[in-house]
Amino acid sequence: MSCVVRRLRVRGAIPLGCALAALWAMPARAETGTHIFTRDAFELSGDVRLVAADGEPSWVNGGFGKLRSGSDSDLRIRPQLGNLNLVWKPQFTWSLGAVVAGSLQGGERTEGGLSQAYLIFRPMRSSKLALSGRAGLMWPPVSLEHEGADWHVKDSITPSAINSWIGEEVRPVAAEATLAASVGQHKLRVTAALMAANDTSGTLLTFRGWALHDRTTLAFNRQPLPPLDGDVAGYQASFTHPLLDVGTGFGHHPGYYAKFAWQPPAPVRFELFRYDNGADPEVVNMDLEWGWRTRFNDIGIVADLGSGAELKAQALQGRTKMGFPDNGRRWVDNRFRAGYVLLTRPFGSIRATARVEAFGTRNHGSDVDSEYDEHGWSAMLAAKRDWRHFTGLVELLHVWSDNPSREHVEEPFRQAQTQLQAEVRMHW
Amino acid sequence: MVRNILCALALAGAASPLAAAPLNVRVVDASGHPVRDAVVTLYPAGAAARPARGGGRYVVAQQSLQFRPFLTVVPVGADVSFPNLDPTKHHVYSFSAAKKFELKLFAKDQSRTVHFDKAGVVALGCNIHDQMSAFIVVTDSAWTARTNAQGIASFGDAPSAPARLTVWHPYLRAPGGMIQQAVAPAQRSLSFQVRLRPPPAMAMTDY
Repeated sequence: MSCVVRRLRVRGAIPLGCALAALWAMPARAETGTHIFTRDAFELSGDVRLVAADGEPSWVNGGFGKLRSGSDSDLRIRPQLGNLNLVWKPQFTWSLGAVVAGSLQGGERTEGGLSQAYLIFRPMRSSKLALSGRAGLMWPPVSLEHEGADWHVKDSITPSAINSWIGEEVRPVAAEATLAASVGQHKLRVTAALMAANDTSGTLLTFRGWALHDRTTLAFNRQPLPPLDGDVAGYQASFTHPLLDVGTGFGHHPGYYAKFAWQPPAPVRFELFRYDNGADPEVVNMDLEWGWRTRFNDIGIVADLGSGAELKAQALQGRTKMGFPDNGRRWVDNRFRAGYVLLTRPFGSIRATARVEAFGTRNHGSDVDSEYDEHGWSAMLAAKRDWRHFTGLVELLHVWSDNPSREHVEEPFRQAQTQLQAEVRMHW
Repeated sequence: MVRNILCALALAGAASPLAAAPLNVRVVDASGHPVRDAVVTLYPAGAAARPARGGGRYVVAQQSLQFRPFLTVVPVGADVSFPNLDPTKHHVYSFSAAKKFELKLFAKDQSRTVHFDKAGVVALGCNIHDQMSAFIVVTDSAWTARTNAQGIASFGDAPSAPARLTVWHPYLRAPGGMIQQAVAPAQRSLSFQVRLRPPPAMAMTDY
C-alpha cells in the first residue's frame, strides 16, 4: 500500500509541480496579469458550528450513520470546528492560473490535507466561442450545490446525498476542456475530460450506502468502511483511498467524464453528466483495495423562479462492479440512484432553503447481494443570512434509511436520525 | 447622462426655427406592466435631425462582480471609464460592431477609458466572470431617453416634424432587441407593447 500511495504522491504532485514551476518562471509584473503572492491571491474560509444529533454512530467513525455527527441514540449537543480552508489562486498570465486548496476538517475525526490542485487555462474568447481548460486534482463539474474554490455548500450546511458522494469518492486527477458557445439566444457548454486516480470510487457507496455531510476526501487520505461480514472482510480492506490508481502505471486505464449544459432563452439551465472511471474490477493492490468499475449519469436543472427564488434538482443513476465473475456475476455489482429537489428563496435578508431527496442501492453481486441493499429519504430546512465576511446558517435535517447490513453489527436495519446545526461561516 | 442629452437638446432646440412640443412614449410588456430601462430614440427627418452632443465622461464600474450601472446611454464621442472597484481582476471585453475592445484591469481602483465613436449597442462582458453583463447604448440623436419606472420616456421639446422612433431593450424579443415606428408631426404620444424574454439569470460556469 505504502508504495502505491508513494507513487500516487509523486504522480499526483505533477500538476502542483507544474504550477510551482510556472510560478517561479514568471516575472512578478502586474502588467502581464501576474498575480501570485498578492493579498488577492489567497482566500481563507472556515466555520464553527453547534451540532445536536441523535441516532446511530456516524460513518466517520466507522459506523453506518448517514451524517457527519452521530450519537448512541440519545441526543448529543457538541460545538465543532467544521471546515477551515486556505485557497491559493495564483494568476501567472491573463490566461493561465491555478487553484491550490488545503482543508482542515473537524468534528468527530479531525484531518487535514490537500483538497484540490489544478491549473486553469482561460484564453480570451472569440465573439461566439469560449475555450477553457483545467488539469490537475479537482472535482468534476457535477454538483449544483457547491461553489467557490473552497467548494463550500451554497444554500445550506449539508449537501444532498448525491453531492456528498461526489465529495467523497469522485475526485480524479484529470485533464479537462470546455467549449462554450452562443447559438442565437441559446447558450451551450460542452466539457470533456480524461482522468485517472479514481479507481476505488464506489467502495464506500456499496458497503456503507449513501450519506449526507460536508466532509470531503482529502488527497491521499482514507475513509473508513463500516464493519464487513466475514466473507467480504477476507478480500476487501476495511478502508478505502478514494483518490487511488490501483492498476499498474498511473493512468494505465484512463477514465473519462463529459458534460453538456444548455441554457435556452429562458431562466432555466439543463445539464447532463456522464462518468466512467475505466477501472479494471479484477485488479487489487497489496492492501486489498480493488479497482471498482464505476459509471454513472447525472441530470441537473436550475430554474430561476423570479424574486430571487431558485429551483434546483439533480438525479443520478449508476453502477459499480468489483471482483471476478462467479457464475456470470462479479463479486460486487451495485446499481445506485438518488435524486433531490431543492427550493430556495429570500425572505427579506434571510434566504430559506428546503430540500427533499430519495436514495437507494440494489446489489446483484455473487458475494454482495440484497443484504447490502439500501433505501432511504431525507428532508432538510435551512435559513441563511449574510453579513460582510460572515454568514449565519441554521439547518434541520432528518434522514431515514433501511440497510440490512447494519445487522452485521447487531443494529436495527432501519434507522432514523435528526440533526440540528447552527453555523457561523467566515470568508476572507 | 440622459439629462446631459436633454440639455443639449434644449439648447439646440432654442436655436431651431422648427416648432417643438412634448412627446411622451410609453412602453409596456405583454401583460401591460411598465417596462423600465427601455431606450427610446427619436430621429426627426431632414433639417429637424440633430445629433447628440458629443463628449462627456461616463463611468461603468466593476463592483461586487457586476457592472454598475447595467445600462448606460452615451452620445457618440463619449469617453467611458471602467474603474475596477473589486479586489479581484477583471477582463472587460466587447465584440459588438459599434465598439470592439478588451481591457485588462488587474488591480483595485485601476481604471481604463474607452472612446465610443460609433452609434449602436455595445454589449459588455468579463472574460473571467461569466455572470457579468452590461450594455452601453451609443446614440447619435439628441432625442434619446430611457423609460422610467412607469415605462415612460419624455422629450420636452420634440420637433413637430416627421420622424422615426426606435425602442431598444436588452431583453426585447425582436431582431437586435429593437422595434421602430414612424411618427407623424402632430403625434405627441405613443405607446408600445413589447414582448420581453426573461433575463439570463444564471451564468454557466463550473469553476
